[in-house]
Amino acid sequence: MTGLTYGSWLCLLAPLAGTILILLGGSRIPRLAAAWIATTSVFVAFGGAVWAFFGVHSQHQGPELLPLTSQVTVPAHGEITTAWTWLQSGNFHVGLQLLVDPLSTVMMLIVSGVGGLIVLYSIGYMDGDEEERRYFAYIAFFVFSMLLLVEGGNLLMLLVGWGLVGLSSYLLIGFWHDRPSAVRAAKKAFVMNAFGDATMALAFFILIAHTNSLDFGVNFNAHLSGTATNFVALGLLGGAVAKSAQIPLQTWLPDAMEGPTPVSALIHAATMVTAGVYLIARTYPLFEHARTIQLIAAGAGALTLLVAGLIALVQTDIKRVIAYSTMSQIGYMFVGVGVGAYANGVFHLLTHAFFKALLFMTAGLVIHAVANEQDIRKLRGVGRLMPFTKWCFLVGALALVGIPPFSGFFSKDPIVASAAALGTWYGWIFWVCGVAGAFLTGLYTFRLWYLVFPGEPSPFVREHYHDHHGREGAWTMLVPVGILAVLATFAGWLQWTPRWDPFTRWLAPAAPSLAAAVPTDTQEYFTSVAVVIAGLAGLVLAWAIYSERRIAIPAAPFWRRLFEEKFYFDWLYDRIFYEPAVATAAFLRREFEEPVVLQTGPDVGNTTLATGSLVRRLQTGLLRTYVLFLAAGAAIVVLAFLIAR
Amino acid sequence: MSGPDVAWYLALAAVLFGIGALGVLIRRNTLVVLLSLELMLNAGNLALIALSRHFHNGAGQIFALAVMAVAASEVCVGLGLVVALNRRNLSLDVDTLSELRG
Repeated sequence: MTGLTYGSWLCLLAPLAGTILILLGGSRIPRLAAAWIATTSVFVAFGGAVWAFFGVHSQHQGPELLPLTSQVTVPAHGEITTAWTWLQSGNFHVGLQLLVDPLSTVMMLIVSGVGGLIVLYSIGYMDGDEEERRYFAYIAFFVFSMLLLVEGGNLLMLLVGWGLVGLSSYLLIGFWHDRPSAVRAAKKAFVMNAFGDATMALAFFILIAHTNSLDFGVNFNAHLSGTATNFVALGLLGGAVAKSAQIPLQTWLPDAMEGPTPVSALIHAATMVTAGVYLIARTYPLFEHARTIQLIAAGAGALTLLVAGLIALVQTDIKRVIAYSTMSQIGYMFVGVGVGAYANGVFHLLTHAFFKALLFMTAGLVIHAVANEQDIRKLRGVGRLMPFTKWCFLVGALALVGIPPFSGFFSKDPIVASAAALGTWYGWIFWVCGVAGAFLTGLYTFRLWYLVFPGEPSPFVREHYHDHHGREGAWTMLVPVGILAVLATFAGWLQWTPRWDPFTRWLAPAAPSLAAAVPTDTQEYFTSVAVVIAGLAGLVLAWAIYSERRIAIPAAPFWRRLFEEKFYFDWLYDRIFYEPAVATAAFLRREFEEPVVLQTGPDVGNTTLATGSLVRRLQTGLLRTYVLFLAAGAAIVVLAFLIAR
Repeated sequence: MSGPDVAWYLALAAVLFGIGALGVLIRRNTLVVLLSLELMLNAGNLALIALSRHFHNGAGQIFALAVMAVAASEVCVGLGLVVALNRRNLSLDVDTLSELRG
């Protein structure tokens, strides 16, 4: 047992302990106590993650170059700790294992660090809600599940965490359960995620059938047939696109904005939805054996980043704009891990966690201050009243667009450059998508900015704005936002791939980038210039349209309708899945449930009653009748014997 | 070891059994019904013992002993019921005791 082991278990179990404490406390503990139990437990988890980080750091073999060996051994630098054998079936057994390696420590730090800040923010945001304790129990449980996902030492533990984050996401989207729209959104998210869980489980069954194991190491080194590998990778990809809201399983994420805003920040921006990226980085050997499937992942990401960017242009709900931008950014991460640049994908995951949580939390500050209004057409000029929120949002927006020196610049550009490094036709398609996506990002982000923050406050804002004791929000809300604004600015300086790459080297033992996806310096610089120019072009266009009104919004009713209908995905899924299912259910209810199932119970009862009322006549209550029956019965038996002889 | 043929014993047992059964069926006094039951049991006993002797097999006699034990228990219960009925000032006429009518 080393610090690494203690740290990882502490990190995992602290939020679980917090959940259990709040649940056991029930209504006996005050609301604020529940809030602080949850916050403390997540910060304790962050402490554990830091402990584990230094544990791994001390084992990390310096900055050697990427070990591009054919044989992959996991963990190269890290440790698997097994608490006990959890499942045993014949010679197949699965331990309750945690894996602590460079990749999982990065994820642990993000989940517990950003998680801690967001839970702290929730104290102010959820203040006065009737079911605050339930909220904090759920959110601590979510942090536990997410940590289980990223620390899981074998594929089954990963899947358990995967399922539990889906559950906590469901519970938190539907937290305001008296709103029918929230309940519907929660169900939608759960069903679409369950689809991904199922394909992942199928992939694991194939692995068990071939290698009789769910250990990372065993399966990464196994030589499966091409078909089996392809199906395994496809199953994992199904789970990844469902969880990360990529095309074709993306429609649940915008609806998930029905949950409280801190939930959107934590689950549907910073951590859970990026789990698909983590999954591909974690199981990269399986994907590299099925390179086609890996490129399909990149293709799904490239498509999603464009489609989500286009839809974001016409959204009017402040949270939905940010939700579509989340989908779009995760699209970038998928391109990154899909082409094989795992470190770049995970680095974008890290910076995205900061600036996207920041954007959601500043949006939450606005929503909180302006009577829960989320329609950006009504919120014009709110920045005048909320200067701190305004500047923090601007930091997040610049980081999102990728303007140097903000963090998005350092993490988004290398992904696009890695696509170019492939040098193939699809590599260049991804590159073009990435650059076009940067333009769209600039456009929709600054559309939001110019519509909401600058200028003279609208009458609606004037009427409904109220501050919190003279400030823009409770200190528990402002402090995390401030910290994240600093992180969103500076976190990107951790690495600038052409010049220094400590993050890539740190991840190299766990997920070494594919040599084919390492761009040359020229490609890096060229791509950076292209992406920044595209982003700035979008920004300037947004300024010209929404601030100066020099350019009219093009009418293009067909395109506007296409974007507003979200490319008809919801419509299509309703037609293909939802409506046939409802029709089948209605048919079965009419033809089977009502005539057969519902009728069977009364039928059995009535028959019994009718038989009973016939037979009761035999019970005369007279002794002589019974004796007569007895004697007659005996006589019949005797006669039968006599005749049968 | 001679005596009447076993058929006589069996005939007597049958007659006794018939009388007992008839008594159970037609008499209305509870005590007489119990008495008739005893008669039926003992008719059975007589047949068992006669055949035991005829076949030189002791098992029948053991059966007869067991039947006697059962008869004794049955009389205990039956007479207990009669006493209980009497204490409650209920009629001993079996035809009036028909509350279990369905």
